[in-house]
Amino acid sequence: MPLSDLLTRYPADIRNLYAVRDVPTLIRFMGHPDPKNRTIAVDTLTDIGAPAVPALISALRSPRSYVRLGAIEALAGIRDPASAGPLITHLQKEKHSELLCAVIFALGETGSPEAIPCQVHLLSDNAKYLRLAAAVSLERLGWEPENERDRLRYRIARCDWDAVRKAGPAAVPWLCDISQDPDPAIRSRVISLLGEIGAGEGCRACEAGIRDRDPGVRWASVLAAMNCGITPARMPLFLASRERTGPNPAAAGILNFLFLGLGYNYIGKWWGFPVFMAYMSVIVLAQLATSPFLPYLVAYPVTAFLGLHTYYLARRISDQG
Amino acid sequence: MVPQDLFLGRTPDITMLEEECDIPALISHLASREPDIQVAAAEALARMGSPATGPLIAALRTRKRARRLGIIAALGQIGDVQALDALDGLTKDQSSEIRWQACIALGQIEGGGAVPVLLFSLRDRDKYVRYASAVSLNKAGYVPETDDDRAWFSAGMQDWERLTALRNAAVPVLTSLLSDPDADLRRKAARALGAIGSSDAGPALLHALGDEDRQVRWEAMLASQMCEVPSMLLPRGLCRRPRLRKNPLVAGILNFLLPGLGYGYLGKWWGIMIFQIDITTTVWIFKYYGEANTYGILFPLYIILGVHAWYITKKMPEEPP
Repeated sequence: MPLSDLLTRYPADIRNLYAVRDVPTLIRFMGHPDPKNRTIAVDTLTDIGAPAVPALISALRSPRSYVRLGAIEALAGIRDPASAGPLITHLQKEKHSELLCAVIFALGETGSPEAIPCQVHLLSDNAKYLRLAAAVSLERLGWEPENERDRLRYRIARCDWDAVRKAGPAAVPWLCDISQDPDPAIRSRVISLLGEIGAGEGCRACEAGIRDRDPGVRWASVLAAMNCGITPARMPLFLASRERTGPNPAAAGILNFLFLGLGYNYIGKWWGFPVFMAYMSVIVLAQLATSPFLPYLVAYPVTAFLGLHTYYLARRISDQG
Repeated sequence: MVPQDLFLGRTPDITMLEEECDIPALISHLASREPDIQVAAAEALARMGSPATGPLIAALRTRKRARRLGIIAALGQIGDVQALDALDGLTKDQSSEIRWQACIALGQIEGGGAVPVLLFSLRDRDKYVRYASAVSLNKAGYVPETDDDRAWFSAGMQDWERLTALRNAAVPVLTSLLSDPDADLRRKAARALGAIGSSDAGPALLHALGDEDRQVRWEAMLASQMCEVPSMLLPRGLCRRPRLRKNPLVAGILNFLLPGLGYGYLGKWWGIMIFQIDITTTVWIFKYYGEANTYGILFPLYIILGVHAWYITKKMPEEPP
C-alpha cells in the first residue's frame, strides 16, 4: 500500500458524494485501497457526467496510477467527444501498459473522429495489447480500412491469422514489422505464417527468427526457413550466432579466478559456495601466518586453471537449447 | 521400500512366491522401488483372484504411498466388486496419485458399480484424476445423460472440440477449468470460452486477465472480445496481474549496507564480486588506517552505491502484460 493511502482520509460513505456532486473527493476515492470503492467512485463520476470532465482531465496528471486509470474509465463512460484531445495527449505520456490500453479503449468510447489517426498508427505498435486495443477501438469508432494495407494491419492486430494467411505475399511486410514482438508466442506464429505464405521477402525475419533468444521461435524459424528461401546450409550459421541465454562464460571464469567457488556457484553448482568459504578461510589463515600477498601468489595460478575450467563448463551450458 | 531392495540387492522370485501363494510377501513387494517388481507382484496377486482381495484391502491401511499405489493396482487387476468401497474411499485421498490410481482401478471393475464414484471424480481438481475417470467411464460404456455431465466428460477426456460444441452448457465447466493449476489447460479453457462466445463467461475471463501466466492473460483478452465483455473493464483486469518487479528500496538498502548484494538482488553476476572486494578492502583499510578513517572513506562510497542500485531498479522497464 502506498504511504499516501495511510495519510489520506476518506469520507465514511462514498454514496453521499454523488448527492453533493463532490467531484474532487470522488477523484481521490479512485485511489482508495479497496477496489470496490474505486469502482464505485468511477461509476459515480460517470453518472455525474459532463460537469466532472474538466476535473477528470486534470486527474490524468495524477502520480497515482489507480487515479489515472479511474479517470480514464470515467471519461470513457461519460463519452464526451471533448475529452478525446486530452486523452490523445495522455497517450504520449503514459508509461503503464495497462493504462495505455485503457486510454486507447477510452478513445474508442468518445466517438470522436479526432482519435482515428493515432489509433491507425497504433495498429503497427510493437505491443500486442495496444495493437488489439487500437483495432477494437477503431471498430467502435466505425472506422473502415481505406486500403489493403490498413486492412491487413487491422487483421494482424486482431490476430485474425487465417485472414492474414489468405492475403498471401501482401501480408509479408506487415508480418515482418511485428516479427520482433516481445511475446515469443506471437513471434513464433508470425514466422510460421511467413513460412506458410512462402514469400522470399520474409527471409530477413526468418533469419532473425533462427537467431532468436527463444527456442520455440528458433525451431519455428527453422521449419519455415526453406519456404522463405533460406538454404539449409545457412541455417546452422545463423543458429550458432544467436544470443546465448545461459550463464556468461567470461563471468564464470572471472568469478572463479578471483573468488574460487563463486564461479561454480554462478553456473548452478550447489557446492560452489562451500568451496568459496573453504578457499577464503585457507587464504585468510595463510595471510595471518605469512604475509598479505604471498598466499595470493600461490593461489592465483591454481584459480586461473580452475577459472578456465569454469569458463569451458559455462560455455557448454550456454550452448544447450 | 522393501528391506530386500536395500540389503540383498537381488531380484525377488515372484513366480516362486506365487506358487507358494505367499500373499503377504507378494503384498510387501508391491512397495518395491523397482516398478517391474511392483507390476510383477500385482500381476501375480491378480492371477490369485478374489482370495487376495481381503488381505490387499487390509494392507491399504499403510501410510506408504508406493505400497498403496501397488495395492490399488493389484485390486484393479483382480477386478473384484468387493474392492469397490475401499477404492471409493481412495478417490477422496489427499494424494492426487492415489486418486488417479484409484480411478484407473475402478475402471477395471466390471458391472458399472463404479460409475457414480467416477462421475464424482470427473470433477476432481487434478487433471490426471479427471482424465482417468473419463477413460474408466468410457470403458464402462457410460453415456452422459445431461449436458453438464457431457461437458465434464469431454473436459476429462481433454476433448476441446466436443466441449466447445456444447456451447453454453460447457461454460460453467470451462469457467472452473480457468482455475486449474496447469497453465496450458487454463489457456485452452480461455480459448474455448472465446470460441463459444457466451457473455456468461465475462466475469471469469476478467478474473483470468490477472492470471500469473502471460499466455493465459492474452487468451483471456482475445476471448473477452468474443464474449462481448465491455472493453473498458479489460485494463483494470490486467492491472491485477502479479508484478515481478524488483523493489528499488530493497536494492538500495542492500547495496548501502552490504555493497554489491543490491546488484546481486538485481541479477547482476558481478554483485557478489563487488561484495567480496568490499570486504577485503574494508579489512585492509581498517588494518592500516583505523576504524574512524575506514568509515570516513567508505561511507560516502556506500551511499553512492545504494543510490545507484535504487536508481537502476527504478529505471528498469516493467514486464509487459
